[in-house]
Amino acid sequence: MKIPRMLIAWLLASGVVASASAQVQVQVQEEPYKKGPDSTRKADVPQGTVTKAKWTESKVFPGTVRDYWIYVPKQYDGSQPAALFVAQDGGGFVTEDGAFNAPAVFDNLIHEGAMPVTIGLFLNPGNIPPVEETSKPRSNRSFEYDSLGDLYAKFLIEEVLPEIGKSYKITSDPRQRVICGNSSGGICAFTVAWERPDSFGNVISHIGSFTNIRGGHVYPALIRKAEKKPIRVFLQDGSNDLDNLHGNWPLANQQMAAALKFAGYDYQFVYGEGKHSGRHGGAIFPDTMRWIFRDWKEAK
Amino acid sequence: MRKHLIFSLIGAAGILSAQDMPLAQVLIEGEQWQLLAEGYGFTDACAADTEGNFYFTDVKNGNGIFKLTPEGQVSVWRDGLPGISGLQFGPDRKLYACQGKRERLIRIVPGTGDVEELVTGVRPNDLVVTALGAVYFTETKTQQVHYVSASGEHRVVHQGDIVRPNGISLSPDQGTLIVSDHGGKHVWTFRVESDGSLAFAQPYMTVVTPYGTDESKGDGSTTDAYGRYYVTSEMGLQMFDPTGRLCGVISTPAPKAVSVEFAGPGLAWIYLAADGKIFRRKSASAGVLFQNPPVPALMFGANPR
Repeated sequence: MKIPRMLIAWLLASGVVASASAQVQVQVQEEPYKKGPDSTRKADVPQGTVTKAKWTESKVFPGTVRDYWIYVPKQYDGSQPAALFVAQDGGGFVTEDGAFNAPAVFDNLIHEGAMPVTIGLFLNPGNIPPVEETSKPRSNRSFEYDSLGDLYAKFLIEEVLPEIGKSYKITSDPRQRVICGNSSGGICAFTVAWERPDSFGNVISHIGSFTNIRGGHVYPALIRKAEKKPIRVFLQDGSNDLDNLHGNWPLANQQMAAALKFAGYDYQFVYGEGKHSGRHGGAIFPDTMRWIFRDWKEAK
Repeated sequence: MRKHLIFSLIGAAGILSAQDMPLAQVLIEGEQWQLLAEGYGFTDACAADTEGNFYFTDVKNGNGIFKLTPEGQVSVWRDGLPGISGLQFGPDRKLYACQGKRERLIRIVPGTGDVEELVTGVRPNDLVVTALGAVYFTETKTQQVHYVSASGEHRVVHQGDIVRPNGISLSPDQGTLIVSDHGGKHVWTFRVESDGSLAFAQPYMTVVTPYGTDESKGDGSTTDAYGRYYVTSEMGLQMFDPTGRLCGVISTPAPKAVSVEFAGPGLAWIYLAADGKIFRRKSASAGVLFQNPPVPALMFGANPR
């Protein structure tokens, strides 16, 4: 079937494809958020490289395969350990005309000094390929992203990062390591830092699914009673986000923000009027990165 | 139209964006469970045929296999085979049965009622027969899943992980096999390999359990045409979407629901064996018969085949 170009452009722009959202949205409706100059290529800014690869072995998630992309800034020369940024549903973050265009944002902010030289790891969720070519792969995304516990953290920290570390010098300082995602990828990012604050000290969650897909609605309660963990958290959601069988996204994110505030976390909550898309999170993404790395020079 | 475009695009992009599948897509407002048969000791072994009939057994007191027509008439389909806990028709139109009481897996030839022994010395609990005529069955006590090829080769294809393997089903494309855990809180998935072996065991679905226990009493399992999985349990009939997310718990009309199957006209009725009775309830979905060729799961909005 032929797909109109306009529709593809809209899908990418709105982040429906990029974020592989919990619900396919069928209404074409404008959200009042647009990417700014920091999300666009500038002629005088050194451009990093983005390389696509396939991850095909996992003991934690046996049988899964997934695409991933590595972003390496022009300024990286291997002499110093680089900061680390990891995104779930990574494919949507590296797309040049997607909601985030993370490579361009990183190029601009690194050049400006607003963030350190950072290696980007953009991981897609796993699929179990079918035996019969005529069948579809089975998505492992919900199992990997929505489950609480340390499985995904194990996969990332014990399987993937050591391998990436063979090619790139990456800092072990959690304050210089960021984990990010949208929707289920957002709760996944939080879960990794919650389980392993010694590895990731920064979380960025857009339209995070802190709802009962697989029990993630309990986080606000856990945050309030657990001893504060050394995690900096950025949350974004919109008043028109999902309300479905798993929960109410705007309420869940407000609960998260209230719990982080109560427990004294270094957090920021941006609450707009967006829907379940990457539009708003993408539009403010450069400022989010500025906020996360606001003290990176002091921390060094 | 736009919906179709988006679905194809997402498929093309290789990103499986699961749809949300609430109970409202399956349950019909005003439709309740109907009691079809009662007075049995322990009803079990739900199965469907292509003519809308439903089959079951009484594992405790019964002596054979009962047939229930869409109109609600019960008759004895085959007598003299006590203790059957799992049933399904194969592509050869024979009725495959787990006869744990006689420690064997058998198939019954319609018309003559002849019994063919496939495996002996086992205690099969529940089974699924594929379109190729292969059988997978659970053996709860030994924590095993067994495989019997269409040519009769028998081997154990999974052992351990699952505390009490019980219900067993397939995805509509028959590429994924699921097993419920009576003694645990998960439903496990496996990839079905071309030689019949099972690969990549994962606790893919998490079942709601009673407060204070991880024992789900997960039992009889089935699949609908959209790829949802249904599992009877202590807490009710639990429904999962194809990506393993719990999407609803259907109240059962009696305690101890142990077996579930789509049957009746259009396979649109959910049949349930519970507490020595048989119930059914009309649904907005439809089942899948694994003796038929594999089919891709339907997208929501598509009419059941």
